[in-house]
Amino acid sequence: MIPGETYEKFLSRLLSGDRAACVSITDALLKQGADVREIYVDLFQKSLYRVGELWENNRISVSVEHMATSIIESLFTLVYPVIFSAEHTGKKAVVSCVANEFHQVGGKMVADIFELNGWDGYFLGANVPREEMLRFIDEKKPDVLGLSLSIYSQMKTLIDVMESVRSVFPRLDMIIGGQAFRWGGRELVARISGTTYIESLEVLEKMIKGNTR
Amino acid sequence: MDRQLLTYLTNHAAILVFHLDSRGLIVGANSRARKLTGLDPVGKDFREVLVDFSGSFTLDDALADEKPRLLNFITSGGLPQTYTVRFTPADDGILAIGELDQDEIEDLRKSMLRLNNEMANLTRELQKKNIELNKLNELKNHFLGMAAHDLRSPLSIVETYSDFLTEELSSQLGEEHLNFLTIIKSTSSFMRGLIDNLLDISMIESGKLDLDRSVQDPCMLIRKNIGLNAVLAARKQIAIALDVRNAIPELSLDADRIIQVMNNLISNAVKFSPQGGAVAVTISHEGGRVTVSVSDNGPGIPREEQRKLFQPFGRTSVKAAGGEKSTGLGLLIARKIINAHGGEMSLESEPGRGSVFSFSLPVRHNEHAGGTQ
Repeated sequence: MIPGETYEKFLSRLLSGDRAACVSITDALLKQGADVREIYVDLFQKSLYRVGELWENNRISVSVEHMATSIIESLFTLVYPVIFSAEHTGKKAVVSCVANEFHQVGGKMVADIFELNGWDGYFLGANVPREEMLRFIDEKKPDVLGLSLSIYSQMKTLIDVMESVRSVFPRLDMIIGGQAFRWGGRELVARISGTTYIESLEVLEKMIKGNTR
Repeated sequence: MDRQLLTYLTNHAAILVFHLDSRGLIVGANSRARKLTGLDPVGKDFREVLVDFSGSFTLDDALADEKPRLLNFITSGGLPQTYTVRFTPADDGILAIGELDQDEIEDLRKSMLRLNNEMANLTRELQKKNIELNKLNELKNHFLGMAAHDLRSPLSIVETYSDFLTEELSSQLGEEHLNFLTIIKSTSSFMRGLIDNLLDISMIESGKLDLDRSVQDPCMLIRKNIGLNAVLAARKQIAIALDVRNAIPELSLDADRIIQVMNNLISNAVKFSPQGGAVAVTISHEGGRVTVSVSDNGPGIPREEQRKLFQPFGRTSVKAAGGEKSTGLGLLIARKIINAHGGEMSLESEPGRGSVFSFSLPVRHNEHAGGTQ
């Protein structure tokens, strides 16, 4: 568990744009032997959710939100040596954001959790056109497709993409998640067969472990 | 109310307002214009606050066609900033009002976000590939070590028995058969040397080169090494000279490994020297370091080929004088051993003027004593 004091210090440095201090805090945690899952969930994810809340409540500008997100994304490089060192199981997941969705950090964390559990976690990125996503799925033939949505207004785009995927790949398991679902939409994605809503990284990891065994 | 609105816009809106007289001299500027340019522009010619290398802007043209102009302003931060500026005649001169293009700012914001996302994703892929490559490299070293180790024992048996047969049967065998045995022995010796080098490389690359340090007299090690190479040198009538320049302190080092380095340098010098040539070994102590140099009067190595010598299997166009074989790994290993001791290795060479290979070791050996690399 990341100490509350460390989290508060990290968040404060993050909001002031002090990347070096954030690197230093993350690095120190890794050296102290903190589990990368804790760093992802209790530090990165918690901070990102808080930054999102501050933005939604007009306490910070969109620029500060983007800066904080970029800093956290750059910190991922510190944990990658652990993330990418897992023994490979041969299973594959493709994770992507739909067109016009520019918030990619959540999706990338999902791909990383797959990697941490020995899967190949391909992350396609933000704002991925439907055709490109379908082409990549066809090329990699993943066991699971993960779609992440942060902005609720893009829910229709997500549903359209899911329907396209289902029509082209009838047996491909899909997992869906993201901050957009705080405002609703779970019932919409549930209508599409073979779809699971994943509410957190912990739930995702439990699902992966169950699937791998 | 109009006046209040005007005052508010002038002082708080994100616009630049310059009040010019009819000659283009600035007689007033709002706070944003002063902040942007970082100076008090009053009294300056309007063109002085612009970055207009071509000199294409004229106030008369702007007033004549009333079209907005894209103008770059000098800023306090150093980077010019582009504003869309409209010029309007006023009762007491000209008003120049500049605005930022909000669409352009939004486009730039999106582009920055996209580029940042792409860079982050590429970094992820790059790091993943790096870790995969490291794993493959470790696997390669492991395989190399295993293969070399398993080949070494049977090869040593071939070498030992060919040696035994040469000695025991020399009186019973004909010249041709004796020659066969000599070839078997020399070839198996070369192969064992290659395997030893591969084992060393595998160990070094895996970070498992453990130094067994003890306090040693470097001069004694050199003398021992010159003795080891005496037979090889005598065959080519080469004299190996030792020059001890000053008092040499004892050093903390791995004697076997340093002998391996010295042997590599001295035997190379003999190999590349012509019949009747000269090899000189000098040792000196200066500036907290002991330096050993081995010079030969061989053909020398072209400058552009010198870097190859310290790369795995790096060979140059220069051939050994007697056609002796080389594994192409010796100097690489030698340099790694010297580096593990906290020392450095260097080469000075010129075609036609021979070569000087040197290594220096720190005297304050305790800093490195017991080090592992």
